[in-house]
Amino acid sequence: MDAFAQQLVNGLTLGSLYALIAVGYTVVYGIVQLINFAHGEIFMIGAFGALSTWLIFFDGNLALWVLPLMILGAVIASVTTAVLMERIAYRPLRHAPRLAPLITAIGISIFLQEAVRLFYDEVPFFDFPDAKQRVPFPQIEVVTGPAFQLGNVTIQRSALFTIGCLVMCSAGLWYFVNRTRTGKGMQAVSQDPDTARLMGINVDRIIVVAFAVGATLAAVAGVAQGLQVTNINFRMGFLAGLKAFTAAVLGGIGNVWGAVVGGLTLGLVEAMAVQFIPGTFGGSPWKDVWAFALLIIVLVFRPQGILGAKVVDRA
Amino acid sequence: MSRRTLPDSVRTTHGSKAPWLALAGGILFLVSGMLSWSYDDRILGDLSIRFYPAGIQLYAMLFGVIGVILAVLLLRRPAWLSPARGLRILGTTGIVFVVWVIASIAYQSGGLINANEGGWVALVGAVLLTAGGHLSPEVDIDVRRWPRLSSTLEIVIIVVLMAILLFTVAYTLDIEDGVIFAAFLIALIGLAGGLLGTGFGDYLGFIGANNRRPLLLAAFLVAFLFPFTQDGSDANMSIATQVLIFAATALGLNIVVGLAGLLDLGYIAFLGTGAYVAAMLSSSGFATVGWKPPFVVVMLIGAATAATFGLIIGSPTLRVSGDYLAIVTLGFGEIFRLAMFNLDGNNGPDLTNGPNGIPAIPDLELLGFDFGEVHTVAGIPLGRFSNYYFILLLLLMFVMLVFTRLNNSRIGRGWVAIREDERAAEAMGVNVFGLKLLAFSVGAFLAGLAGTIKAHQDTSVSPDQYVFLESAFLLAAVVLGGMGTVVGVLVGATILKLLPEKLREVNDYRLLVFGLLLVVMMRFRPEGLVPSKRRQLEFHGEDEELSELLQAEHLQTEHLKPEQLEPEPLQGAK
Amino acid sequence: MTVTDTPTTDREAGRVTVLQASNVTMRFGGLTAVDDVSMTVHEGEIVGLIGPNGAGKTTFFNCLTGMYIPTEGRVELGGELLPPKPLKVVRAGMARTFQNIRLFANMTALENVMVGRYCRTSAMALTSILRGPKFRREEEATRERAQELLDYVGLGRSGELLARNMPYGDQRRLEIARALATDPQILLLDEPTAGMNPRETEETMQLIFKIRDSGLAVVVIEHDMRFIFALCDRVLCLVRGSLLIEGSPGEVQSDHRVIEAYIGGDDEEETA
Repeated sequence: MDAFAQQLVNGLTLGSLYALIAVGYTVVYGIVQLINFAHGEIFMIGAFGALSTWLIFFDGNLALWVLPLMILGAVIASVTTAVLMERIAYRPLRHAPRLAPLITAIGISIFLQEAVRLFYDEVPFFDFPDAKQRVPFPQIEVVTGPAFQLGNVTIQRSALFTIGCLVMCSAGLWYFVNRTRTGKGMQAVSQDPDTARLMGINVDRIIVVAFAVGATLAAVAGVAQGLQVTNINFRMGFLAGLKAFTAAVLGGIGNVWGAVVGGLTLGLVEAMAVQFIPGTFGGSPWKDVWAFALLIIVLVFRPQGILGAKVVDRA
Repeated sequence: MSRRTLPDSVRTTHGSKAPWLALAGGILFLVSGMLSWSYDDRILGDLSIRFYPAGIQLYAMLFGVIGVILAVLLLRRPAWLSPARGLRILGTTGIVFVVWVIASIAYQSGGLINANEGGWVALVGAVLLTAGGHLSPEVDIDVRRWPRLSSTLEIVIIVVLMAILLFTVAYTLDIEDGVIFAAFLIALIGLAGGLLGTGFGDYLGFIGANNRRPLLLAAFLVAFLFPFTQDGSDANMSIATQVLIFAATALGLNIVVGLAGLLDLGYIAFLGTGAYVAAMLSSSGFATVGWKPPFVVVMLIGAATAATFGLIIGSPTLRVSGDYLAIVTLGFGEIFRLAMFNLDGNNGPDLTNGPNGIPAIPDLELLGFDFGEVHTVAGIPLGRFSNYYFILLLLLMFVMLVFTRLNNSRIGRGWVAIREDERAAEAMGVNVFGLKLLAFSVGAFLAGLAGTIKAHQDTSVSPDQYVFLESAFLLAAVVLGGMGTVVGVLVGATILKLLPEKLREVNDYRLLVFGLLLVVMMRFRPEGLVPSKRRQLEFHGEDEELSELLQAEHLQTEHLKPEQLEPEPLQGAK
Repeated sequence: MTVTDTPTTDREAGRVTVLQASNVTMRFGGLTAVDDVSMTVHEGEIVGLIGPNGAGKTTFFNCLTGMYIPTEGRVELGGELLPPKPLKVVRAGMARTFQNIRLFANMTALENVMVGRYCRTSAMALTSILRGPKFRREEEATRERAQELLDYVGLGRSGELLARNMPYGDQRRLEIARALATDPQILLLDEPTAGMNPRETEETMQLIFKIRDSGLAVVVIEHDMRFIFALCDRVLCLVRGSLLIEGSPGEVQSDHRVIEAYIGGDDEEETA
């Protein structure tokens, strides 16, 4: 029972991270039917943005009040990258065959990884570390440090922070989508872009906003990841992105709440697979395999996902 | 070259000066070869001496020679040739060439100050050539009106061109210095483009289309003779074998992506399957299976296993398509890598030795022929990589045969129909699901075949050779070269494997450039370098005229434009 | 629910029934797109299907050709129940064209028609790679038949043109040739003259007569009333998913409900 409770906590933590990233896939997909394959890199850039902010302004300072500013730095880095990406690479391809944006996305993904790997330590004026290896991430007070013990269950402080981030971001997202003009515009565009355009909604702007919203959450996830794993690297976006995409599909791509549900589900499945799949195919070496197997099974048998009511018939 | 040119008014007022501008440009280029390009004599093979042209200076002089020839042709205003087009290509690439060289001189010797007069003279020359090209009118040429040569003579032309190709390739690969290598490539593009752009290129295409079999034969002969130009050295042969494996695999992927239109992002797993099967069944001390069948059997098992995986991976195509399929295949690719990484005995059965992989795979031995030894043929030693080169060449020929024959058959038509419009294909009685599965399994079979040879050539297999990035590279080769074509994929594979090997200076940046390349290609030339035209209408004389005639005939009756057809810009964006 | 069936069995007695659709109903969620429609088509007969926009004509077509699985009802071809799979429907002998042309745009006209031969040929992967005499014969026969069909619809000289580059009217005819290549007993044409000028419409009509005379049954969806009444032996009018009337062109033309459906229907169409 303790093992189950422990994996529940682990799963929810992992799931929160997936959920935060998955929202980015799903928001963009819901509006332009594009799998923004490079979204994992936005998450990575967020982590590096936070690190840079810390190095530039607060080097050595681990007080809690620094954290919001690091998150702000992360968000600025991620959103800038995402918006530029949309503007430069995706927008010209909006009416191209569907293969073209996907290949572009792969290209952007590789480009961003390499750019960070090669040039992070060469940024002028600042003394950034070499990003070719893992880079230690500042371990901010209060949200890191000694874990809480609840009976036999260990709860890391960073885990609580991650779950807290998901709760707050979800609330913020709910307010944005349902209560603001832009959010309603997003809903309209995802229903029917052409009609939305005729109704005077600036579809281009909405698409940019979708990218920015996804990037904001990914940036938060990047910070949470940095705090949890204690270091970051240029490759962290690939697997996380892939998993988050799995989560988005699992929950029903295009559906924002689906991403959250899917993320948590995937996290739990992975955690439970580590603990409860018996024999030599259990344990952490195989958890990614089980996650991908789940992705394939879901895509084959229920491509609309857990919550997805939208008919997925995109060729 | 783009069709965008200067306004006619400019051309009418200044057009008469064009040949003279071009002539001056050509002469400047010739002169520049005799001048010093660099103050520093230690870089780029010493360009500092005057009146003693070396390497790059010689290339510049070649620009001059062709520039002068085109200028003279322009003066005579032939109706059957379009020197203007050639001049534009020559001039533009000339500018790129000179800028590249000057930039390299400045970078390597620490300042622009070290670039001597030669480069600047050449730059002026290149600009003049370009100006001349843009000022002179483009002639619409019709190579079919050119005199027909006897078929023997045409074949002779093909053979001579192929021989030139062979020696050019051998020469190119011999260049050690990465900057000179790139400069030569640029020069080659410019010189060939300058000559062929005048109309000779179309004519050669015309001849080639009329003599398909001799052309193919000559091309393979050249490929076959290539190891003999290497003088026993394995350096280039090692690259060549990599190019061949890569090309064969990419061509297999082209069946899936280019013909059937299914995006597969985990394709490297099939190559890996073949390689791992070969490694497990090899006589390596680390092999995990006791059975040691002959290699031919291993090849079949490897390919069949890969094909089976292909069927499994293809089976979701019944329900998912497009982007979703891409992600499913990506997931399968990752599962393959992780499984190979894990199956070390501690996690599941011991099949792959986990992260260490299976090393020390012995060289192939077929019919008493040891691939590990040096064999001397006609006095020329052929090393280990040359041996593998020959067997890989056979493999590539086989893959090409499968690709072209399937493409030109009922199956291939079915695939293309699915790619064009799946619903319509189904409504016309095409077995969509069956054909998709077939595409996946044929592609996987071919990759598996290549993998079995690769295992022996690399002498080891390990999970980190079969990562997603490699799948992306394969896909890039297909996209870069041109989806659905053989030549395109060969070009794409060569570029992607050869350039990083030769441009060691920028090797660290190759992935960065690669990523950027994908983005730029999709933006500006999504159809690839050698686009598939499905049918090269220009080589069917009567048909083209007929097409124009029919179009004209229908102009009066047509009141709804063909734009109503669903646009498909990927194939014919221009 | 005004299913006014006017059986005309006496006129058609003794003729071979090709297609028999009985009580076909198609619902999407709460929407009933086709409601209990029955249709019988005989050999060598041209049947018209009319109705205002959104009346469910194309949905009905999709039910017949296996693209949709009808919620209720059965479709029989030549006395045998049709499985609701496009592939099997084509093999059984029913071919169709599309309302919005769906040619294989980057294939030539000839290749388009050759794709239509797919289900009547058999060369598989290995045969295609080995290229034995049987393969060559079949390939040659496919090509010949495709060229024949192009000639038949009057596109004999356009074989090498890419479908996307063909004039609009030719594309429509090419679609018919492609459908004919599947050797159908019955041909379903979805608005074959949409967007055509009078001359092309007239040509299309002659073509359909020619196809009919060769023994095929033809079902046509069309908006052009003059065209449909001049062409068809029998006309069915669908309104909001249900069969309003079935009868000879004369009968349907003079039925006041049909006129009402068209005139009165327009307003509703706008909001629908």
